[in-house]
Amino acid sequence: MKKLVVFLLCLASFSNKAQKNAIAAGEKLTYTASYNMSGILTDIAEVTMETSDAKTSKATLLRLKCTATTYSKWDSFFKIVDLYESYVNPKNLTPYLYKRDINEGSYYKFMKYTFNHKTNTINSIQRKKNKKEEQKSFSINTGTKDIVSTLYNIRLFDYKNMSVGSKKSFTIVFDIEEIKAQITFLGKETISTNIGKKECYKLSISSSENVLQGKNNNLLWLTADENKIIVYGKFKIPVGTGELKIKSAQGLKN
Amino acid sequence: MKRIFTILALIAAILSIILAVLPVSNLAIFPAVVALLFGLIAFYLSKKTGSVKKIIQFIFLLTIMSLALTTYKAVFSKKEVTNTQELKKLEKESKENAIEDLEELDLDDISTE
Repeated sequence: MKKLVVFLLCLASFSNKAQKNAIAAGEKLTYTASYNMSGILTDIAEVTMETSDAKTSKATLLRLKCTATTYSKWDSFFKIVDLYESYVNPKNLTPYLYKRDINEGSYYKFMKYTFNHKTNTINSIQRKKNKKEEQKSFSINTGTKDIVSTLYNIRLFDYKNMSVGSKKSFTIVFDIEEIKAQITFLGKETISTNIGKKECYKLSISSSENVLQGKNNNLLWLTADENKIIVYGKFKIPVGTGELKIKSAQGLKN
Repeated sequence: MKRIFTILALIAAILSIILAVLPVSNLAIFPAVVALLFGLIAFYLSKKTGSVKKIIQFIFLLTIMSLALTTYKAVFSKKEVTNTQELKKLEKESKENAIEDLEELDLDDISTE
């Protein structure tokens, strides 16, 4: 029994070490999002992923923020101002509060999830343009995360010791619905990016719902270093295909 | 036959110039290529009959203009986000509201630093 406890403590400390090594407050990643228009990839928006501290009187949480804003030339046609936030435990990225504020053309939607990990429930608030506010409480599985904390959580996996083809499963809550997703480690690949030539871990992402289409159409390249930042992504969603390319990376922990 | 190619080339050239002035300017290449191709066929057929109409030259002019504009926009137009104020305001308000929400939550498992 004692050995088991020691083993589990060692495992936990290793796991924490891995987590602390990859993500810290003050990191800012900027991306260019391109959308495939009649076979031509067109840069449409700038996506940022930023981390910062969020202090309350009781604790200091990590704020994971993702924004998407269209380049100014698109604003008169289809303006996008999206803000996704997740307030997480800095040690294990467990989310406590998730907010999504999307403003796309004439479409507006606000979504807030308050996680209760003791009861495995989420209290959600949803607001839409010209519609009444909807409040809902629903159950989730243990370990279910929001989309933002999942994106960061992907960086915590130990790819060094993963064999090609091995898979990791996780559950994401999106639009008051739990979605099963899976990443498959496809091996290492060296690619050229705006921040230099990088050796990367290549991952394939799939989901139970039809959000991500195809088997190997949704790919992510994470730098094969301690930071494991996303430098390149290809996606195929119901409305088309596109790419995400890194533009700059600041405040990396390692 | 000559008339059909001239009409098709003119339509493609007009479409190309419209696309070239829009943000989707790189899509103008497709109709521009079509306009050039049909324009050349119309030009060849006209030459055979001995009279090249001004409209064909106009089609070439439109196509060249659209290609020049597309190339200029691809090379010189900057990709920039100008609506940052709106987003910054939204981010600030959202964080303030989030802190208020977090204050009401049970955060015992996160140590105070």
